[in-house]
Parts: sequence; C-alpha cells; structure tokens
Amino acid sequence: MNTNHILIIRRLRHLIGMLVLVFSTAGCEKYLEEPVYSEMDPESLLATEAGVNSLLNSTFGELFLSGWDGKSRINLENWCTDIEWETDGGENLIATQMINFTWDASLASNWLNNILWLRPYRAIRNANLLLENIDRGTYDAARKATYLAEARFMRALAYVKMYSWFGPVPLRTSSDDPLELGRATDDAMKAFIESELQSVVAELPLPGDEANYGRPNRGAALATLCKFYLNTKQWEKAVDAANSIIALDTYRLYPEYGQLFRVENERNSEFILVFPQSPQGGGNNYINGALPPGFQRSPEMGLEFRSGWQNWAAQYRLYDRFYNSFTSADKRKNLIMTSYINGAGQTVSLLNDNNTRAIKFWPDPNAIVNEHGNDLPEIRYADILLAKAEALAELNWPNQEAVDLVNQIRERAGLVGDDAVLLTDFPGLQAFRDHLLNERAWEFYGEAGIRREDLIRFGKFVSSAHERGKTNARETHTRFPIPQDAIDADPSLEQNEGY
Amino acid sequence: MDNYSLTGNRDTVATPAKLILRVMKITYFLLTVCLVQVFAETSAQKLTIQREQVGLRNIFSEIRNQTGYSVVYSVKHIERMPTVTVSFTDMDINEAMTRILEGLPLDFVITGKEIVIKEKPGVWRASDTRRDLELQQQTISGRVLDEHGNPLQGAAVRIKGSQQEVSTGSDGRFTFNNVERNAVIVISFVGYETRELAASADLTSLTMKPIVADLSEVVVVGYGTQRKSDITGAVSSIRAEDFNKGANATFDQLIAGKAAGVQFIQSSGEPGGGVAVRIRGASSVNAGTSPLYVIDGLPIDNSSVAGGGGANFDAPPSPRNPLAGINPEDIESIEILKDASATAIYGSRGANGVIMVTTKKGKAGRNTVSYSGSYGQQQVANTIDLLSTAEYIQVINALIDAGGGPETNRITDANVVGTDWQAQVFDNNASIQNHSLAFSGGSEQTRYYFALNAFDQGGILKNTAFSRYAAKLNISSRITDRLEVGTALNVSYSHDEQVPSGFGINAQSGAMYTALNFDPTLPIYDNDGNYQLSSFLDMDNPMSLVNEARATSNAYRTFGTAYAQFKITPYLTAKVNAGGDINNRRRDVYVGQKTRRAMAAGGSGSVLNGMLGNYLLEGTITYDRRWEHHYLNVMGGATTQRFVYTSSSQNADGFPSDVTGSDNLGLGDQETFRMGTNRAANRLLSYLGRVNYELNNKYLFTASLRADGSSRFGINNRFGFFPSFALGWKLTEEDFMQDVSVFSELKPRLSWGQTGNQEIGNYSALTTFGGGPSAILDDRLSVGTQPARYPNPDLKWETTEQLNAGIDFGLFNGRISGSVDYFTKTTFDMLFELPIPSSTGYPTRLSNVGSIRNRGWEFGVNSNNLTGNLKWNTQLNLAVLANEVLNIGQDNPIISGGAGQTTGVFILQPGSPLFSFYGWEIDGIWQTDDDFSVTRDAVAPGDIKYRDVNNDGTVNGEDRVLLGNAFPKLTWSVGNQFSYRGFNLSIFLDGVSGVKMLNNNLVESYFPVSFRRNRYAELYLNRWTPENPSNRYPSFVNPGGQGDKRVNSYTVEDASYTRIRNMSLSYRFSPGLTYLKNVAVSFSVENLATFTNYSGFDPSINPNGGAFNRIDYNAYPLARTWMIGLTADF
Repeated sequence: MNTNHILIIRRLRHLIGMLVLVFSTAGCEKYLEEPVYSEMDPESLLATEAGVNSLLNSTFGELFLSGWDGKSRINLENWCTDIEWETDGGENLIATQMINFTWDASLASNWLNNILWLRPYRAIRNANLLLENIDRGTYDAARKATYLAEARFMRALAYVKMYSWFGPVPLRTSSDDPLELGRATDDAMKAFIESELQSVVAELPLPGDEANYGRPNRGAALATLCKFYLNTKQWEKAVDAANSIIALDTYRLYPEYGQLFRVENERNSEFILVFPQSPQGGGNNYINGALPPGFQRSPEMGLEFRSGWQNWAAQYRLYDRFYNSFTSADKRKNLIMTSYINGAGQTVSLLNDNNTRAIKFWPDPNAIVNEHGNDLPEIRYADILLAKAEALAELNWPNQEAVDLVNQIRERAGLVGDDAVLLTDFPGLQAFRDHLLNERAWEFYGEAGIRREDLIRFGKFVSSAHERGKTNARETHTRFPIPQDAIDADPSLEQNEGY
Repeated sequence: MDNYSLTGNRDTVATPAKLILRVMKITYFLLTVCLVQVFAETSAQKLTIQREQVGLRNIFSEIRNQTGYSVVYSVKHIERMPTVTVSFTDMDINEAMTRILEGLPLDFVITGKEIVIKEKPGVWRASDTRRDLELQQQTISGRVLDEHGNPLQGAAVRIKGSQQEVSTGSDGRFTFNNVERNAVIVISFVGYETRELAASADLTSLTMKPIVADLSEVVVVGYGTQRKSDITGAVSSIRAEDFNKGANATFDQLIAGKAAGVQFIQSSGEPGGGVAVRIRGASSVNAGTSPLYVIDGLPIDNSSVAGGGGANFDAPPSPRNPLAGINPEDIESIEILKDASATAIYGSRGANGVIMVTTKKGKAGRNTVSYSGSYGQQQVANTIDLLSTAEYIQVINALIDAGGGPETNRITDANVVGTDWQAQVFDNNASIQNHSLAFSGGSEQTRYYFALNAFDQGGILKNTAFSRYAAKLNISSRITDRLEVGTALNVSYSHDEQVPSGFGINAQSGAMYTALNFDPTLPIYDNDGNYQLSSFLDMDNPMSLVNEARATSNAYRTFGTAYAQFKITPYLTAKVNAGGDINNRRRDVYVGQKTRRAMAAGGSGSVLNGMLGNYLLEGTITYDRRWEHHYLNVMGGATTQRFVYTSSSQNADGFPSDVTGSDNLGLGDQETFRMGTNRAANRLLSYLGRVNYELNNKYLFTASLRADGSSRFGINNRFGFFPSFALGWKLTEEDFMQDVSVFSELKPRLSWGQTGNQEIGNYSALTTFGGGPSAILDDRLSVGTQPARYPNPDLKWETTEQLNAGIDFGLFNGRISGSVDYFTKTTFDMLFELPIPSSTGYPTRLSNVGSIRNRGWEFGVNSNNLTGNLKWNTQLNLAVLANEVLNIGQDNPIISGGAGQTTGVFILQPGSPLFSFYGWEIDGIWQTDDDFSVTRDAVAPGDIKYRDVNNDGTVNGEDRVLLGNAFPKLTWSVGNQFSYRGFNLSIFLDGVSGVKMLNNNLVESYFPVSFRRNRYAELYLNRWTPENPSNRYPSFVNPGGQGDKRVNSYTVEDASYTRIRNMSLSYRFSPGLTYLKNVAVSFSVENLATFTNYSGFDPSINPNGGAFNRIDYNAYPLARTWMIGLTADF
C-alpha cells in the first residue's frame, strides 16, 4: 500500500468518525429538537404583562367584530327583520335565504359558523386561558384585577351574544372542560351571564378611566347586563341596571342624531359599548353596500362620492313601509337616502321600490378601500333609556316615567310639542308596546342586532315576517341553527328545534 | 458501546419500534467498524480464479466481479478464441492477465479501472497480405449501413483516444487520414448500438444494429442504481431522448404525460407558473400530496419562497413553480419511483412517490461542445366566448325589460364602440426563446459537464414574463483507483413578472377576472386619459391592472452535492455525500395610483424576502458482489437533513409618486408601514438499509428499511419505520421458456411496503402562541396573540401501505416492450385536521386518524411498428385510478373548499372519493305549464329547477348530492415517432376522461355578482324566454332567488379532454465540416388542439392548486406555441 492510500484512508477515517459522532453520540432524540422561532411558548408569554395584554387583544379582536365579518354579522341579524333587505352582489345568495327564511344549518360556513360561532368561542377560549395563567406573572394588583375583569366581561359578552343568536350553548368556563360539551340549560346559561357581569361591574374602570378607548368599562358591563335583563324579560333587574347606568352620570344623549355616527364624533357620551373599527384593518364595511348603484352624490344629504371609496355590487335596502312610518318631523329619517345622482347625471329615486338606504355610518374621509373608521355602537344610552321605559311599563302600567323616557329620545329627534307622546296616547300597555317597538325601529335602524332582538322580545318576529309575505317564517327562526359543522363535530350538541 | 445506546431516552420500555431503531443503529455501528477495519487490510488488486475450459468472456466477468475493473474488449477479438483453463490464487492482476492470455494472439493494457484487450501486433491471422497492406495505410475509409443495408448518414465515427471524429455522408461513407496502426474506431448513431473495431478490420460495409430494447439499461433508484432488468419495483424511467419536445421552461414539462399513473396539473398557464404532480392519486387530506424530488441525490424542498401577494395585490392561489430555476436541457434522465418497494428507502417522504432527476455527466475520451436554441411565438390557445358589446347591450336591456334588472342600468347610447377586454389583456405575439451551450467530455480520470442556459418567455397575458439564466457544473474525478470525488452544482437566477391574477373578488379582483367581467361597452380610457371605470362595477379597469400593478421577483438558487466514494475492497464501497440548496427570492410589488384599488391609498408598495435552505449530510456503505449463481448488493447508511425557512415583508402606502415603485418604501406614509418576519425549521435524522439478492439471474429479491426521525412530530413519536419487500422472477431465463421465442422478456413482480408522509408544516405537535386578531384600541391596531393550534404531542407519521403487482414484458425480440401494474395504496393514521367540538375555540386538531385508498391499473407499451428505412415507433400509456376515503375518524361528512364567494364545494365522507363535488342536481328549467304546487320555494317559469331530493317541498342544504370528482377514470397518452433518414416527425397526444371541475367563472355567469358584469354568451343568448322555453338555460330574471346554490350540476362541468399536446418535425444532418459535426433543425407546435366540452379556458388546468381539488377561477390560460429550433454539435 502506498503512502498516498494511507493518507486518504486516514482522512476518510476522520470523516467517518465525525459522521458517527453526528448520528450516534449526540443522541438522536435530542438532535431532533428544533427550536421554535416565530411563535411563543405560552408559559413564558403569559408570565409577562405584555403577553397578557396581547392575549387580551386577541380576545377583543375576536369578539369586537369588524371588517367583513362585522358587516356580515349586521346583515345576518337585519335581513330577517322588517327594516332591511338586500339585492345583488355575491352575498345576495346568502341574503335571499335570510330574507325568505329558507336558511338552514348548512348556511355558508364563512357566515354562520365562522362569525357567529367560532369567533365568540375563540374569544371565550382566550379569556379562559388568560384567567388560568394570569398568576404566572407578578405585577400591579390593580391592573391585574382589571385584566381579570376584562377577560371575564368579554367571556360573558360572548355568551350574551350567542344566547341571543342560538339560545343556550355549551358553557365553557375552563380549558379543562371536557372536549365534548353539551348545551347548558337555559337557567345555567342565564345564571352564569348574570353573575359574571354582576361581579365584574365593580372591578372594571369607570367610563373614561379605562387604559385605552375601546376597552370595556363599568358602563359597558352595566349596559350589557341591562340589555340582557331586558331580552330575558327580567324587568325589575333591567330597571335597576338602567338606573345604575344613569347614576354614573356620565352618559348623555348626543345632541345631534345626524352627527352621532360620523367617524369624527365616535367618541361621545352616548355610546356605552362599542365595537371599535379602523380604516387600518377591521373597519366598518356597511356603507359599501348602502351606497346605491353608480352613486355620485346626494344633494339632499350633502354627500359626494370620493374616488377610492368602494361601492359594492351588493345593495343594502330598506323597506318603504319602514321609511314611510316616520313622521315628517323626525330628524332620524334624514340619514336615509331617498334619491341620488348617478354617474350619468341622472337623478334616481329610491322610493317606492323598497330601495331607500341607511347612510347612518357616514363614509369616512380617510377610508382605505372597504374599511371605514366609524365605530359600531353595540349599546347606546338611548337604548338604555328605552329599555328602562319598556321595563317600567311592563312592571307597572300606566307609567308616566316610561312615557317621559320615550320623549327624551323623541326630543333629540326633533319630535317636541305636538310630536311628543303623551300617556293618554296609549289606551293600554299593548299600545305603548306597539309604540315602543316602532320608536326603537326609528332610533336603531341599521345598527347591529337590535331589531331582531326587539321583534323577538315583542313577539312580532314571525308575524311581521308573515305580513311581509315571508310565509316560511316559523317560531324556529327566532333562533339561528347551530352551525352544521359544530353539530357534526360534537355528538353531545343538540340542534335547535325545527332545524 | 455506551455511545450507541439510546442516551437521553426518557422511556426505558423498549417498544418494537425502538428495538428496530436500536438494531439499525447497532448495524450501522458495526458497518462503520467493519469499514474502519477493512481499511487496515486493504491491499493491491489480487485475483483468485480456478476455472477449467471456460470462455474468455466468463473469465473477464469474473475479473470484473472480483476487482471492479471493467474489461474492455471487442467481441470480434475474442469470439473465435478457444476456451482456457486457469488456476491461481491471490495473484496480482497484471500477472494474472498475462497468465490468462498466454498463448493467445491478445495483449492487454490497464488504464485506471479498465483492462483493455487488444490484438497482439504481428499475429493477425485473417490474411497476412491484407494485414500488411492495411497496416501500412495512413488513410482508412469505410461505409456505415443500417440493419437493412441502407447507408446511414450522420453517424459519428471517431478514433478511440484521439480527437479525430468525422460524420458519415449521405452515402454512409467516411474517411480518416493519418490513422495510427493500432487505432480502434468507434461508430455511434442515436438509436443504434455503438460499435468498436480495429481500424485494420474490414470496413467496407459496417452494419449497425438498432437498439430495440436495452435491457441492460441502468436505472437510478434511491441511494444507488440498478440494471433495469433487475428492478423489482414500479419505476418509470424517462431518458432525454424521450422527453417532450418543444418549449419546456421547467423540467416537469419534459415528462408530462410520459409516465402512466403520473398526473401533471398546471395551476396556471403563466410563464414559470406552478404545477401539481401527483403519482398514483392522492393519499392524504391535510398532509402534502406532492412527490419528493431528488436531484442528483439531494432531496429538495419545493415550498414556495416569498410567494405571498403584497399590499393590494392578492396572493397567487398557487405558488410559482419552484423548479423553474433548473434548465431542463441539463437533465439526462428522470426516474419516477411509484411503488413502496422503490420509495420506502425515502421513508417518511416516500408516500407520494419520488421523482429522481439525474443531470448530464461528461463522457470520457470525447470533448464536445453543443449548442441548442429555439425561438417561438405564443398565442392564447382558447378564449372564453363572452357576450360581445352588441350582444351585451341587447341582453342587458332585454333582461331589464323582463324585470331582471334595475331600469337605471339600461344602456341607451346606441353608438357605443366598447372594448373586447380579453383581446386587450392578451398578447398574441409573446415570444419565447431558449439558448443552451454545453461543454462536456474528459479523460478516464476526470469527466466534466458544464452548461450555460438563457431562457426568456413572455406571457400571453400582457406584462407577465419569466426568464432564467443558469449554469451547471458536474465534475467527477477518479483520484486513485479507489477514490472518486465529484460534485454536481446548479446556479441560477430567475426573474419573473406578474400582474394581479388571483382569486380576489370585486375591488380586489385581478386582470383575468376583470377581463371576463368588465363592462364591454366601456373604452379603455376616459376623456381625461384616465382608466375608464364603471360606477356600476366595483372593480378595476382590466388594463389598469395589467399596466399599473406589477409584481416582479428575482430568485437566486444554488444547489448541489459533493461526494467522495471510496472502494474499500472490490466489493465494498463507502460514500459520503454532502449537499445544500439555498433559494433566495425577493418579490417587489407595486400597485400604482391610477388603479382604483390603490387610488385612495396613494399607491401600495411591498417587498417580500424569503430564504429557504436545506443542508444534507449522509454516509452509505455498499457491498456489491456477484459470484457463482448469486448476486448480492447490501447498502446501509445514515443521513440527516435540515430545512430552514426565513421570510420578511414590508408594506407601505401613500407615495408622492409612482416613480420609485417598491424601491423606496420609506417615501410612503409612515402611518401605513407594516412589516413581518418569520423563521421556521425542521430536521430529519434517518438510518437506512437495503438488500438486493439475485439467484441464478432468475429470482430477484429486494428488501429495504428506513428509520426516520423528524422534529415535526410529537416527542412520543419522533421515529417512524418504513419497510419494504419485493420479488421478481425473470421467467424468460427459465429453461422451459427457452422454446417460447415470442417473449424476449417476461418478469412478474410483486412488492409490498410502507412509506410515510410528514408534510404538515412545522411545530404542529407543540402548544405555541402565534399572531391573532388585533384589537382596535385608541383607534389604532394593537397586536394580539393567541394559541396557534390545539397541540397533539402524539402526532406521528402518516403511513401509506402499498401493494404492487406488475409484469414487465418484451415481445418479438424486444420490438414490443412494456409493463402492466396493479396497485393498491392505502393510507392509515392519516394526518388529518379532525374536527373537534368547536366550542373549545379550536375547530380542528391535527390527528392521526382516518384512511384513504387509491387503487389503479397502469399500462405502458413501447412498440417499434416499423424498423426499416421508415421507422415508426409508438408509445402508449394508460392509467385507471379509483380513490376512496375509507375513514375520517367520525361519521359526519366534512364540507369544505371554496373560491371567490363560493363555499362548501367538496364533501369528505367515507365511501366517496376525496374532493367529491357536493351540490344540487339541476333537472332543467321551470316551464309555464309545470305544476308549481310541488314546491314551497319562490320559483317562477324560467327559473332553474333544482331537484328536491327528499321531496319536502323545498330545496335546501339537505337536497345536495354528489356531483362527481376529479380523479380521472382514465388517463392516457399516445406518442408516435416516424423517422426516415434524417427526418423525424413526432406527434404526442394525451387525454383524460371522467374528470369534473367546478367552473367558478361560469358560477358568476349563472349568479352575477352585479347586473352590469359581462357573462358567458352561450347561456344568455339561449336563455329561457316565454318565446324560447329553453329547458337548458334559465331566464336570468331572478338568478339569486333560490339562495346559495352555486355548486350544481351545471357549474360542475365535465373536464375530460383529448389534446394534441405536441407535434414536432426535425431534420438532422451532418454538414461534413470538421468543426461542425451534426446539425438538427426542428419545427414544433405545442398545445395544437384540445377537444373538450369544458367551457372554461382549459380543462387541464387547476388554478386552485393541487390536482384533485379542482376549481377553475380566473385561470391564466395556456398558450399555443409555435417554435423553430436548432441544435449543433461541434
């Protein structure tokens, strides 16, 4: 063997030795540990205040619906009412099912399952995780108490919303709950929501004291509680909650209804619970569907289209019957567009074709593509005043205080003097109820969720549909079906009756 | 031995899996020890032969087996030699050779690893006078004939070991001057066996023998090579001469349609566009279904790099072709490993098949320079028949008259000129060109192949293009008799240009979508010179997207391997292989202020950077010995590979001008700055082994095992074990078959094995927090985090078990050859996003549940129909495939999939094929005299009549039925080649039948998103009216009236087709110049004609990515390409 060979063999031996080292001595189990770079380990993340905040942010982000999901949630709730309907656009095929009461549990899952089911449950999951892990970190006790209260409030709010949409749902209060979890009883659901909201009221900061605009405060918790009591017809408690809100002495009716929903006025003393929106992502999309085809300007409203705004194919339309129900002096109807000038310069009338438009969320001058910054009020002070009026009347009729509360709302709408209502206008409780239902329509049209809940609470959801010729409507439809995907994945989950 | 126990193992219980792992590790250790010991005993080449009365050929093959030296001889030299008797032990090879050839008129020379047998000068017996005459000659001449005695023009004739080479003329004659007395001449011609003979031999009529079916062909398999005749698995081998002709930008196009059971589904017709390759169906729902690509021994990661969209630029629904950086001309052969016997050696990545790419190597003794170039023009193969401007006006107004649209949408201007938007966005003069220059050759010691390539293709959609500049270097060198080192390197730069063309809708819709939907009554520009917009349409002008929204990418990719191979003994070889692949890409996106989508934002710019790297280190030891009646090849080794991915992105809006594009994002509005970065990695550690054993050259046996560990899996299941076994029986070698002359080959094969799938993304087994939805606090976005997934620490490989039975056959002395295979491929422990109660906040959890089965037949045949002056060869491939989901871990079906606003396209349920379309059956159109009392739904005459399957008076989600799937009942291809003298004509056809595809553009014609969008002409010109009571097309007066029924038996179309994929005519000749040996000119057409009932651009495309989840939406259509080509060998 020549020396050359020996040298090569030595080198090869060395190389093989290295290979053996790599494959064997390092221990392959350990060798196969690959560090995680761009994701975080929950234990260390949640040991920091910034980590807790970021988890809380996602809790807000999941439940405070905005962007396309925010718009679609408004649509789902409003298309089955007597105020609003829709034509055109890709979403018309969903709208048709909602308008005609032909929806079922298989309704497009990016609408029903994602928005009304998965998102609140992700918020609940995040809140549960936060509650279970917050003790990992050590920081200021007061702030910690606020985080706890915020998480509990968000979880309760998620259940309030889902209770309204679906009725009782599985009540997850811990990450350790069993995987399969059937629906809670109506009583358990209600008891949980009530006790959670009650107990966070004192822990949450007073309105204006919250760390950032957009975080829940005491007013938001009380308002949520008040509306929950109202919708579950716990009149006395509703009155108490409304009184607590009034007693905060923070909230007022914003003087000009016409300006209330503009982006520049969104921080006001009337919005109690808002779903914040931003043009930077997750904005208010409703206006894109509210503008009529080829919209250029509306002299009557003083609105001119700006390049860069979107005008969707989808058309969010109001029924003429609703528009015509306003009294002429009612300022609130001024946010409804009845005619416009299109690109060809033609003046197009929207009346008498069930085609008027709610331009409540006045377009944001700084909108980016579909996203407008107008915050969505979830509960306004006006709602609380009308809730109190309704609850007082239900408790004790005739009731002057209830009528006075209604007049507070009407006054802001310019309905004073002869246009104010009197106790004597209402021969009985039912007459007052009928008026309240209308008053609430005039006040809250185009806002998320309210009309559907009102119609259901007043027992008119199905009958009003029948009046519109929607003969498919049945009592079943007062609850949305549990999404088929959710039903399929959990054998212990029962579908709502009739679906 | 401490080092080799399972250190760090938390679990002391030895499960069977762990035992196997331990055994493999110990085996590996022993092999290593043996190897080190063997080094010590290494000595010079010795021979031990004891044989009586045997032919020289047998002796020579014995020498080859013992020493690994090849013995080079001319059959002519030894065929008349007597048998010999030899007996020696451990004799030096030089001495042994002298002993063997003692008394014979033969001599030998040992150069490198070759023993060359020559005639002894002065002992020529044929004719002394003649010999004397010839030896004195300085000039020789001869004539080369084909098997029928016709002259063979253009055959290469060279003097062995020199640079002298000539080509035969049209009469088949050649002449050499100054020929040395002992010279050997070599004659070669494509398609014929190369001949070697002494220059002194009779050269007056040299008949060449055509290669009918080369059974000794070597096929590349995982971690080695095998003789084709010894293969026991299902392997399709496609060599350079069989590649698709014409303009092949990427290497997958070379073999599309060429192998039975392998489907190539392009996701886009754009230059450098993506392609999905699927071998034997799809065996996974959520883990990957793409095959593993191995290029010169390096398994590569084909994930897309920086493939996202960018601000205001929707991400392409399917990634760019990651293989576009490779020059197809550098490829020598492509082997497709289909069954588990062939793929199990790749263990956890073998379940979807393996595509092995081998690049060209230099050949010893001959330095060549060759140029190959082509130039062509492309045009759109098919456009969609939409309403013309005049038809549109007529239809829109007629629909308004019928109450199907708002009066304000009426078109009253009778003098509208309008625009055909498809004609505007397409470029029917897009050029394509390719130039390659290759240098190859070498000596016995060192061989090289070096090539340069420039490729440039304009897209048929304006402002799209792809270009590539690549260099390839392959070098191998035999440093000593025992040690060989080599490297295969590929460096490329590729550039591509895109315009928005994805699945975005409305304001975000891309160029193709707007070209199909934009109002045809509008001009391109308005009176002010701005892009004309429509106040009725929430979308950009198609030309503004084509001209003002661009994405350009620059990708730099370097990959390669370096190896050292050492022959420890004649039978034992060790090899170390190291490799790497670094893929860097920067994508620049800018959407200008003239587009509607970025108008308000003031222009949107983005830069995306990505780097994908992988690093390989492996060692293998091979024992290879043939003795007596046995042949044994044992290979063992260990390999590790690590994959790293990093990316970053920056976005900004609001620029003072469009001029800087994305080159100075800092000029944008600071408020809009967004950025993101990401890093992820995974690694594999594997041990592998394989045994090939052959008895009597009749019975073949193969077994392999790979133990694969991956960081992607749960701590409890890091390692997976993948065994395979295969048997083959060369029936034609049996005595009883010797009289059956019809068969030249008959080899039944049977294989079984298990392979794995780990393509589920990184970290799926871990609980981690990633980005969640942001909160809007103080009117600003506040970043949120939330759990990324519901972790599963028990996550492990998905396992695919495959049984393959096949037969290779050759008939009539190889004139007809082929193979038939039947396989059944079942996946279990499927990596599946199992739905879990979504009240947990997690809709699914990645789990090992469920099972899918693919079964099918594959048939491939190659027939030389005519072998005379006019040659005619036919290649036929057929494949039949059936896919069935057996189990998904639960009883309820899962409905998923979508594009645009269409959702719920596919149903996943046991008993049905994967990605089965699920929707409503249409029974026709409601007619005036129909009985409307059978339905409670709001329908009128002229509306679509959906089938009320459960007869409950309403058509809803419960009335959906299966509407077919995209697993082809039959895929086929036929290639025909005709050649006459230097002319060659090839025609290649392929087709599929029994395939469905959702045409989502057709969906939007049935359910227009807005009234003033354009639509398919056929539907609307023949729509139902009281005067034309069509039972096929509805009235379109109330298209949305029955709710969301987009997925139905009208919109899920039959995508079967027959296509003339390629036609090519070439002429090859030798110009008779010393510096230019061969020239070939060619003319070819690609995608000449397609016969189909499908109404979209192309039935063979799947813009949704993948192969079987087929949704056609805004497809970038395929081109028809006319090309001329030139190749020249210098």
